[in-house]
Amino acid sequence: MRALWHDSWGSGRGPAVRLAPEARIAAGAALFAASLAAPAGTGRGIALIAFVATAWTAACGMPLRAVKSFALLGAAMFLPYFLLVPLLTGAGTPGGPSGQGGFLSALAAPWDVVLHGFAGLFLTAATVTSLSASDFRRGVLALPLPRLVTGVVIQIVHQTAVLFAETGSVAAAIAVRSGSGRAGTVLRVLASVPRVWLPRIIHRADRVSAAMELRGYAETDLRVMGPTKPRAADAAAIGAAVGLLALAAAIRWDWIR
Amino acid sequence: MSVAAVLAFDRVTVRYEPGSRPVLEGVSFTLDRGERAALVGLNGSGKTTLLMAAVGLAGHEGLILVDGIPVRRRTAGQLRQKTGFLFNVPEDQILFPIAREDAAFGLLRRGVERTEAYRRAEAMLAELGVGDVAGQPALHLSHGQKQRVALAGVLVTGPPLLLLDEPSAGLDPPGRLSLARLLGRLDAAMLVATHDLDFAARFCRRFIVLAEGRISYDGPDASVVSQAWGTEA
Repeated sequence: MRALWHDSWGSGRGPAVRLAPEARIAAGAALFAASLAAPAGTGRGIALIAFVATAWTAACGMPLRAVKSFALLGAAMFLPYFLLVPLLTGAGTPGGPSGQGGFLSALAAPWDVVLHGFAGLFLTAATVTSLSASDFRRGVLALPLPRLVTGVVIQIVHQTAVLFAETGSVAAAIAVRSGSGRAGTVLRVLASVPRVWLPRIIHRADRVSAAMELRGYAETDLRVMGPTKPRAADAAAIGAAVGLLALAAAIRWDWIR
Repeated sequence: MSVAAVLAFDRVTVRYEPGSRPVLEGVSFTLDRGERAALVGLNGSGKTTLLMAAVGLAGHEGLILVDGIPVRRRTAGQLRQKTGFLFNVPEDQILFPIAREDAAFGLLRRGVERTEAYRRAEAMLAELGVGDVAGQPALHLSHGQKQRVALAGVLVTGPPLLLLDEPSAGLDPPGRLSLARLLGRLDAAMLVATHDLDFAARFCRRFIVLAEGRISYDGPDASVVSQAWGTEA
């Protein structure tokens, strides 16, 4: 997971990488919203979700290795929802749905989670692969967001990367000092979270906030770090993404009615 | 207190909890404009706390003046424009993903034009021997390289007072030597917390020794310190 996070940023080589960073973030966000809005229970909705996720992943040029890794991560996160199907069918329960119709209706809820989950994961991951850490900062700063929000979001992403590195150091220290194998180390790392990891992270957060205060981070309009000029291709990409969001909303509206 | 003092401590006491044993007790000294002093002491002697107090990050009793202005919560912002502070853990200080961006931040927030700010940041990184990593993610650098990136961010704005906490930690011998030479060339007053007497002796002519939160020696003779520590050659 740590390597996946580190390696993913800026690893994409698709045509979307040529868009301005803010256009990549805005288009990614609009497509993410479209994938959530489209219903997973209709053919048109499924087709739209699949199209949006696949097209954006391809446009961002997500490396095959990352595609495989995120597919595995998605499988681990979302496929277990199908284990709920036997519970939801209520087979043999008086008054519960039964037969093929009951099975299909029980399948609907996990299917909804799995399809939307996979699409959301790939859309987020593809957007991340299209942005280097520096692009991300420039993109967030160029978006019309409140100054406090941009400052916090940028630090969350930056400090998350630092946190992964810190976790790696804690894990390495535990592995070396305990002499355990991989599984033993994982267990020891988990057991150490409240006693080792958490105090270290709290201490780190304390120091980082002191550094932010000293360096004037909060009082500075971070847009001084690098404004960008919008181009026609950026507007077209955002327009297409918003169009797909509107289509998803229309399909959802039609489905509800 | 000297009128030329850029930093003055007058009977300063710092406690982390009210009523607890003080971490610093009755500390008084002044640092004149352009003067370079090493703040030395064993682990836990209060060096970092003293530096923190000087920029208002540790609450204190007594009086601390930076350039004649008392260190208080409401003056903290104004005072921090006059000071450059280096933390002993560079990861705490680096707030931007790319080395060049982090080093340029102080200039950009002072209104320096972007191209010029990046040019000056890169020049400072090069002077500190890390010019080749200017465009790299700071997270991927070694500890010594991160230390120099953080230091570049401090030095590039040219503050009149530098408070440096273990600046040579994690640097290789050539890196320590070039850093000592660079610090020796600067006009800024500096207070450098360190255990590294050889490093400090290259550019400091004054040694302030802290022991259990009190100043036990303040003078020009580094050998007093090594004798006290039992580390003299």
